[in-house]
Amino acid sequence: MHIPDGFLDITTATITYIIFIVFGYYALRKSRGMLESEMISFVSILAAAIFAAQMLNWPLPGGTSLHFVGGALAGILLGPWLGFLTICSVVLVQALIFHDGGITTLGANALNMAIIAVLIGHSSYELLIRNFGNRDSIRFLGAFLGGWLGIIIAGAAAAIQIGYSQSFPYGLAITFPVMVGWHVVLGIIEGIITALSIIYLSRRAPQLLSVERGVK
Amino acid sequence: MKTLIFLVTIILVSPIFGIILADIVGFHEPLDIAAEKVELHDLSKDMNWTPLFNYTIPDLSPEIGYIISGLLGIATILGAGLVFKRRGKQH
Repeated sequence: MHIPDGFLDITTATITYIIFIVFGYYALRKSRGMLESEMISFVSILAAAIFAAQMLNWPLPGGTSLHFVGGALAGILLGPWLGFLTICSVVLVQALIFHDGGITTLGANALNMAIIAVLIGHSSYELLIRNFGNRDSIRFLGAFLGGWLGIIIAGAAAAIQIGYSQSFPYGLAITFPVMVGWHVVLGIIEGIITALSIIYLSRRAPQLLSVERGVK
Repeated sequence: MKTLIFLVTIILVSPIFGIILADIVGFHEPLDIAAEKVELHDLSKDMNWTPLFNYTIPDLSPEIGYIISGLLGIATILGAGLVFKRRGKQH
């Protein structure tokens, strides 16, 4: 999911950086009142846990791998604004310290993982809970769909960004089916891990879930 | 403390998945597969700025480098959280 340097042209990189900065500014403003001492601890612990989980690459026979991305989990637990800050801190550490994901593509990577995956995860979960109630089965389904769709749509966004890069005008026909195809399958695992985490936390500490706190 | 032990455990076992099994399978991320098909060139190594490139540490084995990088990443995130928390209290 992390797009390296050299994969995006200047226009795509600039547009995605602008979206990232504008969204980031808005997210910081919106989360100002939420960032109390306990919440900062929770955000940093969740970010550290997602960073650690992303290091568990599960290689699959056939030559691909999967790892947990965590955007939907952060979105469901913290809401879209704090969820963005959580994944954003992970993406920043990965890019700046370990060069996992490029510096020219940082805007695109943040857009895909910290904005799209978080928003889709949060919205899918909230939609189901608001319409069908907060039973365990609905929580599971909402979190699964959030994780699964979040990964697919983030993967599709990455495919579009690479495919539409000016240097490769015919790339989309290849990047889109490959990226979306793989993420439809790999996203199932993301959905299951997200759903199990949410079920566990909803029983042990329901106050941690953003929907329970009324965060929008 | 329990969370910290859990995180350190994940990092300690991570080279099994991130390095050893990955080498056996010869994995590529979906993005790498797509990039290969459209012949994209990864410039990461050409414009690298960090000695910890891709979770490695110079002169250390990939497994140990991966573990130390993981611990460093976690420490950076938790440390940043601590700084924000203290600054919040001061204000």
